[in-house]
Amino acid sequence: MRGFGHLTLILLCLLFFALLPYLPLGIWRDFLLDVGFFVLLFTALALSWDLVARTGQLSLAHGAFFGLGAYGAGLLAPQVGTLPALFLGALGAGAGALVLGWITLRLHGLYFAMASLAFSEVLRTIALKLPFTGGPIGLPVPPPFGGSWPLAAYYLSFSVLFLATALSLWAERSPFRLAQAATRQSEAVARVLGVQVVRVKLWSLLLGSLVAGLAGGVYGMKTLFLSPYDAFSLGRAVEALVIPIFGGLYTTLGPLMGGVVLVSLEHALRLWIKEGYLVVYGAILILVILFLPRGLVGILGRRRG
Amino acid sequence: MELLLQTLLNGLLLSGVYALVATGLALSLGVVGIVNFAHGEFLMMGAFLSYLLFAFRGLDPLLSLGLAFLAAFLVGGLTYQGLIRPVLKAPELNQMLLTFGLAILLQNLALLLFGADTRVVAPPYQATTLALGPFFLGAVPLGAFLLSLATLLLLQVFLSRSRLGLAMRAVAQNRQAPGLLGIEAERVYLLAFGLAAALAGVAGVMLSVMLYASPTVGFAFTLKSFAIVALAGLGNLKGVVPAAFVLALAEALVSTYLPGGGGLVEAVFFLVLFLALVGRAWREA
Repeated sequence: MRGFGHLTLILLCLLFFALLPYLPLGIWRDFLLDVGFFVLLFTALALSWDLVARTGQLSLAHGAFFGLGAYGAGLLAPQVGTLPALFLGALGAGAGALVLGWITLRLHGLYFAMASLAFSEVLRTIALKLPFTGGPIGLPVPPPFGGSWPLAAYYLSFSVLFLATALSLWAERSPFRLAQAATRQSEAVARVLGVQVVRVKLWSLLLGSLVAGLAGGVYGMKTLFLSPYDAFSLGRAVEALVIPIFGGLYTTLGPLMGGVVLVSLEHALRLWIKEGYLVVYGAILILVILFLPRGLVGILGRRRG
Repeated sequence: MELLLQTLLNGLLLSGVYALVATGLALSLGVVGIVNFAHGEFLMMGAFLSYLLFAFRGLDPLLSLGLAFLAAFLVGGLTYQGLIRPVLKAPELNQMLLTFGLAILLQNLALLLFGADTRVVAPPYQATTLALGPFFLGAVPLGAFLLSLATLLLLQVFLSRSRLGLAMRAVAQNRQAPGLLGIEAERVYLLAFGLAAALAGVAGVMLSVMLYASPTVGFAFTLKSFAIVALAGLGNLKGVVPAAFVLALAEALVSTYLPGGGGLVEAVFFLVLFLALVGRAWREA
């Protein structure tokens, strides 16, 4: 059985993050918990992107799902409370995914990537123009649970990652994995083998978007402020795809390791070289594709085709 | 009526540069088979080259055109040799991510070097307008339009008359047969990728006068070029010009007629792209 080592590592990683607030961190505690929050959140986003990539679709719409979830939760939180708002925001992202998927999942490769990008850009413009989103000025978001518990955002973020990991592990270990892999490797062959290609792609996109929407909702509750340029930015989609590539595509451990390393690195780089950190990001992406096409997980030496 | 005609005219003039950039993208897509997300960054480099030459040497952008062509050709060739050739046989996703990484790298490098300000190249003739009956034509957009058309015509002649051009079209049509006939596909790829970058570089110089040079201008043009190429259909070089015209026109109409249209211009572009792709999906299904 492949991946016992993987599972152990994943569980250790989750355990570490669950206990992080209770470790003796000294004066660095607040900073480290902030970094930990973003590590958890963007790793969850990366896992949700990988879930879609496993069907061979390059989604550039994850920024849009993230934004839909963020705005949905941000707008609803004052009325319905934190958890229902997050839930509804995720449903909003899921609805967006269904619309996008229903009309575009017959497209392949570049065409789907472009359609998802176009979807994302159009949604951002709409968010800028709608009367109730605050437009370019932005939308203030209340902290989770009325701000009564300082660690709330951190543990919400942890829960999103937990959910994303569980979903990813399920997809990795169930027959769904075979359907996804067949769809990715050759749609025509998959069809002949009786895989309902469009349905598999649609399910993957829906599950991915729900997690991305949740992540967006939690993001807004941490930053307490949303703007369309931030929430719907293409940068989100880029981050969501760089992490799995770096860690190792089509696995659960890959995005997890990639997220921990890259997001921590990003925050460290921000401290050291301020704005230029994206240069390093781009360079990492190029170098990894050229020299480490299987990502960090490839170094561990366990890999299926 | 006059407003409508003026709008149509503006759209027409804009479409030349769009067609030029998109033709470059279509070349790298059709001949080399690579989805190049960094295409617009060659344009950005051309724009900054023009700006630097103008600011420090006082060089007229018209003269920068040739230099930008050569420089972008060189950069494109180096990019092909160093980055694209190793991943030619890799999965499409890896290729896309590689060029995406290159785009992020170049864009942010420019941001570090030049800052986020927009820089305009302002030669003495920049604000000149020609009156044509009741209509006004900017000298610069008109010049850029004519130059773009001339460049595209030259390219057409090259592709249909010269041996290398024919080899390029042959490789675009079939990956293996030209090899059997003694055409070295690798050389053709190199040439096509360099040429694609050079077209974008030239367009960048024009843009530095028409619009501005900025680190992010390239990516916007990458996206617009993809929209145009997707609308024209992959590998269809001749379809690029009408597709560019349709999109430029949609843009011009929206910015003239919709209140607050300025912010909607980009959305229109993507809406047209989205509809074109959806149309394609349902036609095929």
